Amino acid sequence: MKEFELEPGEHVVLHVRKHWFLFLTELLPYAIIAVIPFAIPNLLSLAPPMASYADIFNYHEPLARAGLGVWLLMSWTAAWGAFTRYFLNEWVLTSQRIVNIKQRRFFSREVSSLFLSRIQDVTTDVSGVIPSLLGIGNIKAQTAAEDIEFVMHGIPRPEQMRDLILKYVPEEDPQATGI
Amino acid sequence: MTDQPLQPFAPPAFFESGMYGSALGNRLFSTGAVVIGILLVVFIIWAVYTLVAVYHWFKYSNASWIIFPAVAAHFFISFALMAYALSGNAFFLMSYLP
Repeated sequence: MKEFELEPGEHVVLHVRKHWFLFLTELLPYAIIAVIPFAIPNLLSLAPPMASYADIFNYHEPLARAGLGVWLLMSWTAAWGAFTRYFLNEWVLTSQRIVNIKQRRFFSREVSSLFLSRIQDVTTDVSGVIPSLLGIGNIKAQTAAEDIEFVMHGIPRPEQMRDLILKYVPEEDPQATGI
Repeated sequence: MTDQPLQPFAPPAFFESGMYGSALGNRLFSTGAVVIGILLVVFIIWAVYTLVAVYHWFKYSNASWIIFPAVAAHFFISFALMAYALSGNAFFLMSYLP
């Protein structure tokens, strides 16, 4: 892994990204923007005083066609950029830690780790109709220090992920604690 | 010194073709030249954005195979849309565009 060095004996268990449905909702604004040039002539024709302006959007004319091409090119490129950010944001579960990789925007990347040995509690949260139907939820990993939380938003099948995390959380040795 | 009389300054043909008389003076550029200029600026912005995004894909995707279809799809669709803007021929996207 380029992002972080694996410790001796450590291996990657799972890569997790946000649920695909959340990615589709992120794409929705770009889809609406792309459709605007096709919708405007139809909307203008519905309002008689404005109907004459619909001729501006005759895409068989070179100028309007160039405008449409540029508009769609920018919409597509922005949507593809959103997919790039979606793909580069991920959580990596290893046998020893959870790594949170945040790609906020281009040239802004944050990589943080939480060692499983520090985890005291793992909570899943699935709320809402669509998240319940599609299995989308949040996982909150709490450490002994109450102020440190590790939250994974919008991940698929959070219960399975929680079980997987707990499987790799090392059990405390009673002798080490003196009990 | 040549014995030829001085000739009046003649602007390049590119400028000449776009000059029309108007009340305020001559227009320097034709509409076509302005459109080409705008398209050029948009394509340069696209190229820089694409370069940055592809750099991030290669640097941070951890050698995932998705990088190749993702980048290829971006180039194919973008070039088709550029061709549509320039010539009206969007190749495989033609059935979806007016």
